[in-house]
Amino acid sequence: MASIVSVNSLSVAYRSGGQDVPVVHEVSLDVAEGQTHALVGESGSGKSTIAATLLGHLRHGSRITGGSVEVSGADVFALPARELRQLRGGTVAMVGQNAGHALTPSMRIGRQIAEAGGDVPVVDLLEQVRLPRPAELARRYPHELSGGQQQRVAIAMAIAARPKVLVLDEPTTGLDVITQRSVLDLIAALSDELGLAAVLVSHDLGVVAHMADEVTVLRSGRVVESATTRQLFAQPQDPYTKRLLASVPRLDDTGLAVVGEAGEREVRPRSEVPVDAPVAVSAQDITIDYGSTRAVHGVSFDVRRGEVLALVGESGSGKSTLAWSLAGLRTPSGGTMKHADGDLARPAQQRPLSLRRRVQLVFQNADTSLNPRRSVGDAVRHPLRFFGTAADRPEATERARQLIADVRLDPALADRLPAQLSGGQRQRIGIARALAGEPDVLIADEITTALDVSVQADVLRLLDDLRRERDLACLFISHDLAVVRGIADRVVVLRHGVVVEEGPTETVFTDPQHPYTRQLMAAALEPDPDAQPYVDDTADWADAADGDDIWTEHGTDGHRVRRWRPLNAPVAEGAL
Amino acid sequence: MTTLDTVPPTTVRGARTARAWRTLTSSRTAVIGLAIVAVHVLIALLAPLLTSYDPIANDADHALLGSSWSHWAGTDQYGRDVLTRVLYGGRYALGISVTATLITVALGTVIGCAAALRGGWFDDVLGRVLDAILSIPAVLALLVVVTALGTGPAVIVLAVAIVYVPQVVRVVRGAALAVVPADYVTAARARGESTWSILRREILPNITDVVCVEFAMRASWVVLLISSLSFLGFGADPPTPDWGLMVAENRTAITVVPMASLAPIIALATLVVGLNLAADGLSKAWGVDRIREGS
Repeated sequence: MASIVSVNSLSVAYRSGGQDVPVVHEVSLDVAEGQTHALVGESGSGKSTIAATLLGHLRHGSRITGGSVEVSGADVFALPARELRQLRGGTVAMVGQNAGHALTPSMRIGRQIAEAGGDVPVVDLLEQVRLPRPAELARRYPHELSGGQQQRVAIAMAIAARPKVLVLDEPTTGLDVITQRSVLDLIAALSDELGLAAVLVSHDLGVVAHMADEVTVLRSGRVVESATTRQLFAQPQDPYTKRLLASVPRLDDTGLAVVGEAGEREVRPRSEVPVDAPVAVSAQDITIDYGSTRAVHGVSFDVRRGEVLALVGESGSGKSTLAWSLAGLRTPSGGTMKHADGDLARPAQQRPLSLRRRVQLVFQNADTSLNPRRSVGDAVRHPLRFFGTAADRPEATERARQLIADVRLDPALADRLPAQLSGGQRQRIGIARALAGEPDVLIADEITTALDVSVQADVLRLLDDLRRERDLACLFISHDLAVVRGIADRVVVLRHGVVVEEGPTETVFTDPQHPYTRQLMAAALEPDPDAQPYVDDTADWADAADGDDIWTEHGTDGHRVRRWRPLNAPVAEGAL
Repeated sequence: MTTLDTVPPTTVRGARTARAWRTLTSSRTAVIGLAIVAVHVLIALLAPLLTSYDPIANDADHALLGSSWSHWAGTDQYGRDVLTRVLYGGRYALGISVTATLITVALGTVIGCAAALRGGWFDDVLGRVLDAILSIPAVLALLVVVTALGTGPAVIVLAVAIVYVPQVVRVVRGAALAVVPADYVTAARARGESTWSILRREILPNITDVVCVEFAMRASWVVLLISSLSFLGFGADPPTPDWGLMVAENRTAITVVPMASLAPIIALATLVVGLNLAADGLSKAWGVDRIREGS
């Protein structure tokens, strides 16, 4: 088969302080017609830089220091401006990560797609990306569409001029599992339909295993390993690839994976929560409103000391709202939240200091969770002084260093600014800051979502160690089921602000009862091209809870499921 | 131990100051502007040493003289040395302007940050009130205040604050709005910290550059406004040496001794140009700095 994209020992560098800093170093790859080639690597591996060169784009200040990029027989960087413009969109089209940012907010969908060129009518294109009622949708504005729909529109724009190559830069990062699955399936179907070659950039090995025919693993701008997908996932050759693969949490792990130097994998058993562990936080019938919109609708749960309770759900399921409410940032409109030291249904400022320090929050985005103008030592020191856990300045400094060591960092980092640390290090500092108040409840809101997979494994292990050492009650919020399976003791599945299923992690994962839980699990992508869906997908369903008759109990260990009934069948199957 | 503990923050702060200084000196505009302002400040401070004449003593024998070796810029209708009065005149202009600008920017910054942080009805009400004040022309508002409360430095400072605080609030609020959603502000809120402490620790350090530029820019406006007031007779009282007042006094004799009017105009112009250059340079230097160093 002829290769349509051919990158020949490409090197890219940017200038900084009078020196060339290499970003990409002698990378070669070929993509055959109709094939999907994935570029995998952690942040800073140069994967996006390579993908952008296919469109003849380089970041400002970067330049080619060697090699060439050929697309459809033409050397991209030797093309005159006019032909380069024809190449972009005409021969190569790109779908970026955040479609919401890629679409012009003040222009109707139809006009934007028409602007992308090509002779295919807009309605046909929208139909092709499986959007419902295309004629009506073409008249809408981008903000009226959901994230998944926006991404479909972006894909429609990319295929408008019938290109030969599609460059997909993290096309589903930031989307929910279920939406991600459907967008990926669409891309795969379109590639087949139109005979497109695709270059897929992703950090998610599950996505890559699902989509790609061939994979190139990159690290610091160099090719680590390149092979067909099946071969790479079955028999990785390089230790780095092995470590990377081993770090990915799996849906069937019964604990956190510990990965060795050579990529060997060992699952650490979960620690048992003692039966008589005291309840740290008890929430009953919580409802939270945003104006007239009800975000959380009658949610109840207990978290015991030393236990990790996971709140799982898609975006918009109300899980972060619950976390904020617990942290005192949003007052619930109904229900009770109790802590051993007092009432949590009041905003943070009205809680007594002794209660405030007991409930602490760790954030999703480590980049914005630390003040860029203050040293990280200061970030940890301040709450120590504020909560009075350290009596005076020297003690606070000493304790801050101790806390930084407790999160497995070098205390010498205390003098650095956040910008001088890596993402994983910043996230650890965020945890250290939360620990400064000596909390017994830690709320971890998607804390590993923005991290690379190997760093994610380290942070999860740290969190697990800390809750054992400090007997923390931990509310772990995540949309990633594989991560949840590894760390959580109990799981609460939320959908549209309502709990649909809850129970011990083992029971819920081995025997998911609610169709929504099953749907989430079926949509999760495992880093294995031959993986069978974790559960068979289930049929359509409708909520059947009414009045006091809400739950179906399964067994005696607290596994219960909200009543539901299959659509097109009158029998309440969940009642069995 | 104590020494070891106190060193790290200073090194962090030192590095930051060094960087701010480095980017500042890399901008020629900012350096020139600040140099001009510095020269003005020096002259105002050292005026008694630079000249031997008294700026307010009348000397009828030497009235309305042209340029000469003993009077470089001539004398005015009361026989006072024009150059001396120009040198001393900077004291009033700079003193009042700096005080007024400091108060304006400080007030505006606190209110702007608080509005951004508190949000809700506080922000809404404040916004409408500020809109109302903003819709009145600056000179008109000033004249109203001065007519009602009489002249004098304190009144003028107050009047300038009333006129310019809303604009500073607008700018600072905008800058602070970008910082408020950051998770470190949320973390401070979850700790239950007071608004003032969040302002001081988390927000202000991240908008210092905006505030500095705002200060330089407002200062140039305030200098102009205060001189206009003096010219109109609502500012400094005669015989105080003041640029605006000097222009007003000498404009009738502009054909006889043009330097008596021109000299204060030149002084005023250079100061305003200097402040403008400084504001421009600072905003560019620190704005570009963020892109270049990626922080």
